[in-house]
Amino acid sequence: MLFFRSEDDLRAWCRERGVEPGPMVPVPQLWRLSRVWYGSRLDPEAPRPSPGEARAIFAGLGLTGNFWDPVPRQEHTP
Amino acid sequence: MTFEARVGTAILEAFAATGDPPSPAGVAGRLGSDVEPVLAAWDRLRGGRAIVTGEDGVSIRMANPFSGISTEHTFESAGIRYYANCAWDALGIPAALGRGGTVRSRCAHSGESLRLEVTDDGPEDCDWLFHSLVPAAHWWDDIVFT
Repeated sequence: MLFFRSEDDLRAWCRERGVEPGPMVPVPQLWRLSRVWYGSRLDPEAPRPSPGEARAIFAGLGLTGNFWDPVPRQEHTP
Repeated sequence: MTFEARVGTAILEAFAATGDPPSPAGVAGRLGSDVEPVLAAWDRLRGGRAIVTGEDGVSIRMANPFSGISTEHTFESAGIRYYANCAWDALGIPAALGRGGTVRSRCAHSGESLRLEVTDDGPEDCDWLFHSLVPAAHWWDDIVFT
C-alpha cells in the first residue's frame, strides 16, 4: 500500500512491474477511510470490523467492486 | 473485557504513548500480570490478526496502524515519531490518535518526498494518490507484502 504523487507515476510503476493498476484513491478519500477504520482503534470496547462491516465501510466511501470485497470469491468450476 | 482484549489494548496504548512496540514483560507490568498469560494472549492476538510478530514470535512487527519496525511511512506528533505499516496506516495513526501532526512518506515511483500536515479537520490539500496492488480479500495472505 503505497503513495504516488500522480496517476502517471502510479501507471509507470505498475507498467515497470507488468501489473494492472488497481483503484486509485485520493488522499481525502483515504483520510475518510482512515477515520472510519481506525478512529476507534484505541477504544477497548470497539470491535474490529467484520467482513460484512468492512464491505459496508468501503461501499459507504465509494470503494466498491470486487477489489474492495473482503471475502474471497469462490472459485467456479465448469 | 477479556484478558486478551486488555492485552491488545495495552499494546496499542503503549504504541500510542511512545511510538515503540511494547514487550510482553512491559505489558504484564502495565496490567499487573505475570508474563505467561500475556504470552498466551499474544498468541491469540496473533491468531486473530490483531498483531503480527517477528520471526521470534514475540516482537511486534505490526499492530495496525502501528509498525514495530522502522518504515518509510511515518507520523510525528507531540514529539513522538510513529512508524506506519503502509501509506494507509500513515493516515490511520493520526486517525487513531485523534490528533494532528506530520505525515512523511514518498512516491513509490519517483521517490519524491511527501510531507503532509494533518489537523483535527484532516490532511491539508493534497493531490497524491493511494494505491494497493493487492485486493482486500487477499490482504492477509501476506500482510507484510500488502
